Amino acid sequence: MGTRYVGARIARNEDPALLRGRGLFVDDVRLPGMVHAAVLRSPHARARIHGVDTRRARAVPGVLAVYTHADLGRLGAPLPKLIPHPSLIHHKTQCPLASDAVRYVGEPVALVVAESRYLAEDACDLIEVAYEPLPAVASVEEAVRPGSPLVHEDIGTNVCARYTQQTGDVDDAFARAPHRFRERFVVDRGAACPMETRGVVAPWDARTGLLEVWDSTQAPIPIRNGLAAMFGLLQHNVRVVAPDVGGGFGAKIMMFYPEEVLVPWAAMRLGRPVKWIEDRRESMVAMNQEREQIHDAEIAADGDGRILGVRTVFLYDSGAYIPYGLIVPIVASTTLPGPYRVPSYRCEFAAVFTNKTTVSPYRGAGRPHGVFVMERLLDRVARELGLDRAEVRRRNLIQPDQFPYDVGLIYQDNAPLRYDSGNYPLCLERALDLIDYAAWPARKQAARSEGRYVGCGVACYVEGTGIGPYEGCRITVEPSGKVVVATGVGTQGQGHMTSLAQIAADALGVTPRDVSVHTGDTALFNWGTGTFASRAATVAGNAVALAAQAVRERARRVAATLLEAPVEEIELAGGKASVRGVPARAVSLGELAVAANPLRFAMPADWDGPGLEAVRYFTPPQGAFSNGVHACIVEVDPETGMLSFHRYVVVHDCGRVINPTILEGQIHGGVAQGLGGAFWEKLAYDEQAQPLSTTFMDYLLPTAAEVPALEVAHVETPSPLNPLGIKGAGEAGVIPVAAAVAQAIEDALEPFGAHIAEAPLSPSRLRQLIAEGRRTP
Amino acid sequence: MKLDGTNTLAAPIETVWTTLNDPEALRRCTPGLQELKEVGPDTYQATLTIGIAAVKGTYSGTLRITDKQPPRHYRIALEGSGGAGFMKGEGSVDLEPQGNGTLLRWSGDVQVGGLIAGVGQRMLGGVGKMLIGQFFKCLEQRLGSGT
Repeated sequence: MGTRYVGARIARNEDPALLRGRGLFVDDVRLPGMVHAAVLRSPHARARIHGVDTRRARAVPGVLAVYTHADLGRLGAPLPKLIPHPSLIHHKTQCPLASDAVRYVGEPVALVVAESRYLAEDACDLIEVAYEPLPAVASVEEAVRPGSPLVHEDIGTNVCARYTQQTGDVDDAFARAPHRFRERFVVDRGAACPMETRGVVAPWDARTGLLEVWDSTQAPIPIRNGLAAMFGLLQHNVRVVAPDVGGGFGAKIMMFYPEEVLVPWAAMRLGRPVKWIEDRRESMVAMNQEREQIHDAEIAADGDGRILGVRTVFLYDSGAYIPYGLIVPIVASTTLPGPYRVPSYRCEFAAVFTNKTTVSPYRGAGRPHGVFVMERLLDRVARELGLDRAEVRRRNLIQPDQFPYDVGLIYQDNAPLRYDSGNYPLCLERALDLIDYAAWPARKQAARSEGRYVGCGVACYVEGTGIGPYEGCRITVEPSGKVVVATGVGTQGQGHMTSLAQIAADALGVTPRDVSVHTGDTALFNWGTGTFASRAATVAGNAVALAAQAVRERARRVAATLLEAPVEEIELAGGKASVRGVPARAVSLGELAVAANPLRFAMPADWDGPGLEAVRYFTPPQGAFSNGVHACIVEVDPETGMLSFHRYVVVHDCGRVINPTILEGQIHGGVAQGLGGAFWEKLAYDEQAQPLSTTFMDYLLPTAAEVPALEVAHVETPSPLNPLGIKGAGEAGVIPVAAAVAQAIEDALEPFGAHIAEAPLSPSRLRQLIAEGRRTP
Repeated sequence: MKLDGTNTLAAPIETVWTTLNDPEALRRCTPGLQELKEVGPDTYQATLTIGIAAVKGTYSGTLRITDKQPPRHYRIALEGSGGAGFMKGEGSVDLEPQGNGTLLRWSGDVQVGGLIAGVGQRMLGGVGKMLIGQFFKCLEQRLGSGT
């Protein structure tokens, strides 16, 4: 297979349409006779519902229907439980509409369908819900205290799971260790805030019995499968399309959000296409959130700073329900050891219900927490033992000859956590070179002598990517010579139309512009799971490679017949098949496609199907492990608590790079989100679990003004686990940011003795920490 | 959220007490009050329109006066909800003579939820103080004009 395009920095196929405003997002779907839905949501974090009176709302002209739990029948049952786990004893999921209780602000109570969204919202105001407000549980620590109010009264506890993983004899290691350091770390809540909020448009055709659902989701195929089961339809008669999706970051993979069930159901009841687009305020309470964990962590080290053991006990906030199971805390637990040799490790967590928006994976999905804990512990070791921070890391890194490296834990895909490949020392040294770490002490001194507080942070991580079970792809060469690639993994901005086209183009001897990639439409490809866990490029990308290889072989066979030459001498290039050394003896791919699908004649004995087409699946034996190092230089103004970034360096290894531009885009976006989680974005709740930051006035997304220019370098250690040698990169940018920034701030504020053990920070919080540092420079 | 404050009113304590308990005075002086209906002894049905930060909302609910110790003390409990969320508050008013006038101390604890909490909570303290200030200013004017 040639490699002209894989690895090339080519422009994205999807950009001409997107940049000209010609994308097709769910809100762009406008259908004749379409009506609009609005959701009435609970203003209480915890309340009983004694009744819902919809009469006044239903009487509004233009209102077609007002639905409450009582109208849903069988569909009113709790939504599906995703990813069960033996330790998850109380796997609670919400009902599409609340029945007798609400458990977070934003929980849907009623659905109004009207001729316009305005009417639907006005009618929501006329619904009278008899709430009996009850004391709410606003934090994980409060939730586990005896006598705390219960989020789910029937289970008698707020703890839905306890789970421990261990490798090595941790307690023995701690008992013998010359140095032990204990810390408490708090990582608070954040929101994914995709530029496009959620949305669903559903037309139902009673004559054909065909339900179509346009859904801004990361997992159209599982949504299709679930809707067919719930509505008793053939999967064949349900088409789910995730068209252009303006960001998902994990929060758009739920199976199911209530609206994804209610809107198609209402469309079937009313015989009219129904549209619901989440507004930003709804999104801040009704789209799943993430990140709250409180760790009591401890590290044992020898006198040289070598890790002897790590243990942590943590509380994981699941919010009011736990549809997605234990994925986030398991990922946090298993990401924590990172690129280091940790001979003994124990991680035990309790997953806890609170009266807050439900938690499911958001970009990083527990990885930032694990890395924050590990990196902050190593900083403590360095400080206490008087060692250089980078040197402590260097001494503990897994070496290139130690792969595959068995961490001794079970990963989120239920397979042993085994790093496939990597060169961790090389990444660290590259990052240190780029940030000019050797010159750092002198620069720090110089800044200090000018009265400025500048700090440097260096943090390492390993990212589990590319997990199974499988993805697939169908590739067809059309008579025009254009190549159509159809796969189940949708795109939310990752550039699938380009990366997947590059892979197919190399195999078929065409340009990526000749390859039209179709994703996210269950009518075009029927099998798959979805775009999540940094897996699309790795799993679907290799399926594309396999299918393209199969089409290539068929094209060569057909060409061999037409050109009367041995198959071995047929080459594909420039959109043509030709005989090696005789470029004039050539036939175009389009002609081959026509020849492979004749109107007459009997097919040869070894015929394996019409046209130039193949379907292939790829299933990885286990996840592939990317890694990287972030290094930054940050100046803190102790008067205002504000930060300014002097430099931000990322060295990243995700195996073979398909397209450096796309990869860097992933990293840039990830770092921006990471900076939000490190310093700006905080989902604040009051003591009655009322969300206080539901607009961008209070929830501060980093803008171009806050995100520094990034310097990104790539190391390429191929993965042995797949033919293309690639690993995922979707979450890489976000993972170590809070750890690196915390370290840099602590370094800058060393003269004040400020101690950073939380994320996100904020200017006012930094000023507090400076005051608490009890030292004056 | 807790709020408190004091006001000095240029009228004797009895006059202040009477005015504070006069539904007409409450109707005139409560900012944003659309409707105040007496539904029982010291119990009113009220509709209020208040803007907090970017959220203007109409709330309907009940207002109860309890623990009346004329002319020195009463407690007030307020509960309302509307499209913009809900608010719930409890407070006390204490009067004492001060020269020819009256010193009025008030304190309250207000809880809000839904949209106004998410969008307006940061502003709530300021807005609350402002509205209560308007209320007492109006009251002062009524006392001053002898009505």
